[in-house]
Amino acid sequence: MLTSLRRALRGYLFTIAGIAIGVAGIVALGAMAERIVRFIEGGDRFVLGQISVAGRGMGMGAGFTAGGLLPAAAIEAIRKVPGVAGVQPQVMLPLNPSTSQFMTLTQELVLGMDLSVPSPNRHYRTLPVQKGRFLREGDRHRAVIGASFATSRGVAPGSRLMLEGQAYEVVGVLERMLTAPDRFVIVAIEDAREQWVAKDRLLRTVLASGGVALRAQDLNTGAAVGWREGEDPDVVARRIRDQVAGVNVQIPSELSSLLRQSTAFFSALLVGIGLLAFVIGGLSLANTVAAAVFERIRDFGVKRALGATDWQLGREILAEALAVTLSGGALGVLLAMVLGLGIDGWARRSGQQLFLFSPRLLAGALVFSVLLGAAAAAYAALRIVRLSPAEAIRRGSAA
Amino acid sequence: MPPEPVLHARGLVKRFAAPSGPPIEVLAGAELTVQRGELVVIEGPSGSGKSTLLNVLGLLEDADAGEVRFGERKVSALGRVAKSRERGRWLGFVFQSFLLLPSLTALDNVLLAARYTTGVDAERRRRAMILLERFGVAERRDHHPAQLSGGEQQRVAFCRAVLNDPPLLLADEPTGNLDDANGAAILTALRDRARSGGAVIVVSHRPDAARGADAVFTLERGRLHPR
Repeated sequence: MLTSLRRALRGYLFTIAGIAIGVAGIVALGAMAERIVRFIEGGDRFVLGQISVAGRGMGMGAGFTAGGLLPAAAIEAIRKVPGVAGVQPQVMLPLNPSTSQFMTLTQELVLGMDLSVPSPNRHYRTLPVQKGRFLREGDRHRAVIGASFATSRGVAPGSRLMLEGQAYEVVGVLERMLTAPDRFVIVAIEDAREQWVAKDRLLRTVLASGGVALRAQDLNTGAAVGWREGEDPDVVARRIRDQVAGVNVQIPSELSSLLRQSTAFFSALLVGIGLLAFVIGGLSLANTVAAAVFERIRDFGVKRALGATDWQLGREILAEALAVTLSGGALGVLLAMVLGLGIDGWARRSGQQLFLFSPRLLAGALVFSVLLGAAAAAYAALRIVRLSPAEAIRRGSAA
Repeated sequence: MPPEPVLHARGLVKRFAAPSGPPIEVLAGAELTVQRGELVVIEGPSGSGKSTLLNVLGLLEDADAGEVRFGERKVSALGRVAKSRERGRWLGFVFQSFLLLPSLTALDNVLLAARYTTGVDAERRRRAMILLERFGVAERRDHHPAQLSGGEQQRVAFCRAVLNDPPLLLADEPTGNLDDANGAAILTALRDRARSGGAVIVVSHRPDAARGADAVFTLERGRLHPR
């Protein structure tokens, strides 16, 4: 059986190649879709892990929540709200202020964190470090950078990074997360405040005027707020909004839904890509398998003349189709991965990754191709066994 | 000892749809009985329906009317699967265009006859090798059809047809694609088959095919006429 299967496979080389191309198309488009899904899911996971708060007003920086300055007094007031477990002041700034946020999906950002406070984000207690270490309390003019940022700038732990005229030592590089932190530069909040003042002429003018009583610790674009065990984060967020004056509070579930709305275009694009991949790749695969079976119609006619029953023939066709689609599928996955990884190797130079070959995608593509191949083979087999052996031989000989 | 009928066909009618006009009646009540050890030759001009008759007798195609019996069993009324089983049990086929499977070696093509009936075991392999030896193609057992000459292919096809030692051998223009020497060798093999007790029906337009035949029929206007 194995020997005959091997021989049959040899005769199916072009079919396997055809299937491989179809499956490669599915996997490559699917990997691009997976990449977008991971990006959206990553953001969703982040915003659902904390309550994001900013000062009331228009945006000063680029915090997770739109709003104005969040002064130290407001942060102190938030800490006292029942159900709040921890508050981490943050400063988030665009690395390059001349880059419009509308022009880039994943802007390079400077995130200043108050390192004296543990991260309140339930899903990111620590950010995963691939090389070097994360920042420690008391670190000044040191930075931990995202994986894409590191690749695009060619920096590694030990490298120096110039930010607003100040040299920073890179002490760590984060693991590639395929979401926003890949393009972050994380520094101590004191360093981020310095950069903010250096970047923002308006802020400098306000501070120089002395008209507003601002201390350094008042310069926060927002805060990440954690909640106590057993508390409903939405309820705690509403409580903050009710009890602390002058703040913009994002209710986690509302922010998640907002994020999903803002990424609706990409989600739709994703569904479109997925459907297109499945329709084009699937049709190509089904057509290739069915054509390969029909191509051997004369052989099946001869086999029936020699006494093969419908069941024997069907089993044989199905076994061959499964072997062929599995071989073609595996080859297609390999082809897509080689192409995708090659393209990503090139794209990584500019800090991008276009493909994500997740195990669920690879397994799904293989299962899909095998099922579709089997269905196409079954259809072809049914068509063939309905013919008389003489007709099958005639048609096969005429082809 | 009374003769043992291997095949009995009566009232066979077969019509094919014509592009225009009424259907073409290729068989119009053909009758045939073949005994064990008998070589029957059917002649007729091209297009007279010889191959159609052989297809109907070999259950490769259904007749529109009439019946076919193998021994005592009426096989023409059986379902598709049962017909396949009866073909495997009763028949061996030799086709004009050999119809060997291109992906299989000569030996595997011969063994194909056993794959769907008795199964391929050591005994079948041994018998297949003996047959290939007897017909002078043993050295070509690992060759694929494309690597064989027409004569060699037909000899392999003959080995396949007789591997299961079927009671009835049907040969459709078995020498049609062969030169004289190879054609003569195949006809001799068919005659030998009949002499050794098998029933053989040969459709041929070759004059020497009828030599040594027990009965010769001509197919005219859908009926068989003894010559």
